[in-house]
Amino acid sequence: MHATIQKPIGEIVKHIQPGEKVFVVGCNNCAWKCYSGGEDETKMMAKRLAARGVEIAGYTVPGPQGMSLCKLSHTKKVLMEDHADEVKNADSFLILGCGQGVHTVIDATDGGMVHPGCDTVFGGETVSDSHIEEYCSLCGDCIIEFTGGLCPMTLCAKQLLNGPCGGAENGHCEVDPDRPCGWILIYERLKKLGRLDLLDAYQPAKKNSKWSRPRSLEVSPTEATFCFIGGKVTVSNQD
Amino acid sequence: MKLTTLFDKGTFVITGEVGPIKGAIHRDKSIEPSCAIEALQLNQYVHAVNVTDNQSAVMRLGSLAASVRLKTNGIEPVYQLTCRDRNRLALQSDLLTAYSLGIDNVLLLTGDHIQLGDHKEAKPVFDLDSVQLIDMAKGLKRGYDISGSRIENYLDMAFGAVVNPNSDPLELQLMKMKKKIDAGAQFFQTQAVYDVKIFENFIKKAEKFKCPIQVGIVILKTPQMGRFMNKNVSGIHVPDEWIDEIGSVAKEDRKKKAAEMAGKFIKKIKSMVQGVHIMPLGWTDVVPKILGHADIN
Repeated sequence: MHATIQKPIGEIVKHIQPGEKVFVVGCNNCAWKCYSGGEDETKMMAKRLAARGVEIAGYTVPGPQGMSLCKLSHTKKVLMEDHADEVKNADSFLILGCGQGVHTVIDATDGGMVHPGCDTVFGGETVSDSHIEEYCSLCGDCIIEFTGGLCPMTLCAKQLLNGPCGGAENGHCEVDPDRPCGWILIYERLKKLGRLDLLDAYQPAKKNSKWSRPRSLEVSPTEATFCFIGGKVTVSNQD
Repeated sequence: MKLTTLFDKGTFVITGEVGPIKGAIHRDKSIEPSCAIEALQLNQYVHAVNVTDNQSAVMRLGSLAASVRLKTNGIEPVYQLTCRDRNRLALQSDLLTAYSLGIDNVLLLTGDHIQLGDHKEAKPVFDLDSVQLIDMAKGLKRGYDISGSRIENYLDMAFGAVVNPNSDPLELQLMKMKKKIDAGAQFFQTQAVYDVKIFENFIKKAEKFKCPIQVGIVILKTPQMGRFMNKNVSGIHVPDEWIDEIGSVAKEDRKKKAAEMAGKFIKKIKSMVQGVHIMPLGWTDVVPKILGHADIN
């Protein structure tokens, strides 16, 4: 999921012009889980903006619960058909969702003016209703086969691929003592699994071209093509 | 001269360390930067002097410029190069530049994290880790860059690396040490050590690699410094005995005491290692006395 956190209300309001009619759009998937753009927060945002003198053209959270705002066809239907009159009346859209959601609204509204209502902070695991943790950096060149599924690109502050820096203190990271050392987590896990041998392999330098933005993925029921700057990779899911 | 030449001859290799200044070297060549002055004070007692690379992630004069200045003054520099601020292009280019400017020894490290320094909003690079950096440097020695393209005039430098004997779990640190050796590391300088038993335990496990090791010594100047390091510097532990001992003498006698303590410590350890790396943190005048107490000529 894409973890998001609302921007402070003062910052949001600052970018809205006097007299601008704003339509607020939330997301019923990731932002709902983050309490940053579910139905309650979207309705609340409309109220908070109105209380600050912002004219509200309408608000919606394309549903049902679990539906992502970034599914363009659905968002387009909800905005351009179900809320056609309010959307027509709107000067801009305030999106309570991730950056993908913001772009989805641009596409859905044929290039409407947008305001991001959230900062998109990371891709994470919803560990509990109140805790989201980052375990993947979306680098496009996964090496966690060698680390028991724990990503050193994400769990190590220096993104070291061949072992720890040596600065850990009592199992904690030297950069952020409130966090465990990612490499000690990897070590303890592999030790428990009896697979410390996996650590012996030299991990070569990362293929950063796979991490160069922008990237895209062409998908079909039988194969997918990952396109990045400088190359593409096609993989079948049938052979 | 490459330090590996000395190790090969069985010389007990002594290195010191200086940090480049926060600023540029004066255009007036008669004015030496303080790091060069410190290195000159060390010169007759050590084989080479490490020059740190934006140490603690604090922005300073480049380690290469300072290393070249040392070389010009007849001091053998160990040029430190970290992955924190450079991607693989810059690292390779800097290695070739260093060799072209006469540098014979380079210490290849990951580098302290940006968050520990004075430019906390900078983008940490870490395109490579220290093992990959050493592997890439070995490629330049063999005539290839990391992309596999041929280079002309291969570099011929000694590659040093670091290891932390205090690290827990030690097994993980030894795993990385072995990877560094396999990648091309030719000698090691350790993180500062203050505990003979910890070092003994480390060396027993590391000696099988048959790679020269210099024990790292940070001169303990005051009890406050010991407590500060314990609180703020990860990977180093100063035992209470050290803190109490340096605190047992009046301020004016601290240099004398510090030399005695570090010297005695090295004396206990020197038979286990192939050299010592002393980090004087400005107390360069103490280094000869330390070596005296350690019975090292």
